[in-house]
Amino acid sequence: MKAWRHYLLVVVFFGACAGMAVRVVYLNVRDSDFLQGQGNARSIRTEPMPAFRGVIYDRHGEPLAVSTPVMSIWTDPSFVTLDVSAVEQLATILKLDPITLQMELRSDARREFYYLKRRATWQEYEDVRALGLDGVYFQREYRRYYPAGDTTAHVVGLTGVDDQGLEGVELTFNDQLRGQYGRKVVLKDRRGQIIKDLEYLEAPRFGKDLELSIDLRLQFIAHRELQAAIAARQASSGSIVMADARTGEILAMVNEPSYNPNDFSRSLGHGVRNQAITDTYEPGSTIKPFTVLAALASGRWEAGSMIPTAPGYYRVGSLLVQDPLNRGTISLNTALQKSSQVAIAKVALDLDPRAVYDVLTRIGIGEYMGVGLPGEAAGTLNDRGLNNPVVRTTLAYGYGLAISPLHLTQGYLAFASGGLRMPLTILKQPGPPRAERVIEESLAREVVEMMESVTAREGTAPGARVPGYRVSGKTGTSRKVGAQGYDETRHVALFAGLAPASDPRFVMVVVINEPKGEEVGGGAVSGPVFGQVAGRALRLLGVRPDAERAI
Amino acid sequence: MKGAQSWFILALLVVVVASGVQVALKSHEVRRLHAELQAAQRTQDELLAEYSRLLLERSTQAAFHNVERIAETELSMQFPDAVERLEP
Repeated sequence: MKAWRHYLLVVVFFGACAGMAVRVVYLNVRDSDFLQGQGNARSIRTEPMPAFRGVIYDRHGEPLAVSTPVMSIWTDPSFVTLDVSAVEQLATILKLDPITLQMELRSDARREFYYLKRRATWQEYEDVRALGLDGVYFQREYRRYYPAGDTTAHVVGLTGVDDQGLEGVELTFNDQLRGQYGRKVVLKDRRGQIIKDLEYLEAPRFGKDLELSIDLRLQFIAHRELQAAIAARQASSGSIVMADARTGEILAMVNEPSYNPNDFSRSLGHGVRNQAITDTYEPGSTIKPFTVLAALASGRWEAGSMIPTAPGYYRVGSLLVQDPLNRGTISLNTALQKSSQVAIAKVALDLDPRAVYDVLTRIGIGEYMGVGLPGEAAGTLNDRGLNNPVVRTTLAYGYGLAISPLHLTQGYLAFASGGLRMPLTILKQPGPPRAERVIEESLAREVVEMMESVTAREGTAPGARVPGYRVSGKTGTSRKVGAQGYDETRHVALFAGLAPASDPRFVMVVVINEPKGEEVGGGAVSGPVFGQVAGRALRLLGVRPDAERAI
Repeated sequence: MKGAQSWFILALLVVVVASGVQVALKSHEVRRLHAELQAAQRTQDELLAEYSRLLLERSTQAAFHNVERIAETELSMQFPDAVERLEP
């Protein structure tokens, strides 16, 4: 009868079922990988898990560089249209012009992404969030702040937009400071919101903190005094380096001009160089104590040995060595105190040809030091021409070599530590330094004592004195090299010293470049800066006064 | 012989059911711990963010310039010209 219809239906039904079953098997077995991959590609994403960059602290735990999250606030004009009052509220919080903002949002309503404000402060973020607006989103970013700003800019350095160190210790210790972003696999919906974390591939690794040897208070004082001196002398630039006499840790390192590492908008370039370590100068008379040291070490000279300097000039081959006036016959100590070129030249020529050079190299002058900052200059000091008396003479009073303020610090550290050479470092040291004896202790002490006369009333730098304390040091004034040899109008004023003389706690080098005006010498320009900074530093460090008070 | 076999099958059945229940329990626990981890990570994140903000605020308040200014203007303190020493 109609049985065939029944069977037809059955056959078609089972046929369809079988067909579907085959298809299912086919999809599941043969195309499974492809389909799974396509599905995942549309919904599963690997997301970075942010990690903080390490904090940089000074030696007392004051933060010098801190990463903090900031929020970028954005909206999707194609998805929501913010009404007029909402736009006005947003504009007030974010300090934007409401009319411009309104126009911007309306002008291209098909845009899917519009930054209301990048890197908004936390306060702005919280205020905007409190409005509870639909269609306003937040995106977390990190920003690095430098609380001490331009005071520590050269030492600390700065990072770029991708959180990589560009300058200073941010660059040299980038690997340690940098956080390692973690990765996780997440499931996202069509709008790109994370629904669920599926798997952690790598945990985020936070950057390690870094403790510098810098003392922020000393850094502040040094920077302020340097700025004041440079402004008063209309100088072009200047540097101060200060180091602990017992450990070789750098306590302060400042330069002018400096820059503000917090200000992204200002184009960098001006004032970025850390002149204290990158620039080399002829150190001039600040080298004389080393010549005196070589003289004392030879056993042929004593502090009281008399040297005739009349008539105030002295010819060495083609070189005319001159004092500003005829000082007659003076002792070695007075020669150092008054910075007599003639006396020092005569002493140097009496010594072994390599004597002064050997002292300088033993102490570490003219070498790469590796303090932990980028761009360190090696300086130039070589033993070519030491057989020539002219070369020996100029070396004895600090010409014919070029060294950075950092080298000079290293040199005076040898005096201050009683004849030790230890590595200068920008990192706080956990224990005593690796020190090596390079000068006999008694000789180092003797030169320190002789240098004390420099800051006496009759010396070249009475301005470097600190009431209540004994201060040793040496001035230096050198001419800069211009297009036609030495330029008589451009000078470098230096002062290198240590305090207190009886038991030195720190060494400090002050360099001021191209001071203008009547006085351009190291004693008049840099000496008083040393005195100001040392005075505050001694009291901050709690050093007991070692001089009898004159009442 | 027949009896031993059916006992064995019954025992297997019990083990299978038990392990099935365990799988369900464990996957529930994984989900719970996962949520806990996420919450902990969020808290850590927030605390670190707050710590960094407080650190910055402290260093601004305690900045050398600031302390000196307050000492000199508000508390009318001054820096001694010479070292004064009090002996006990």
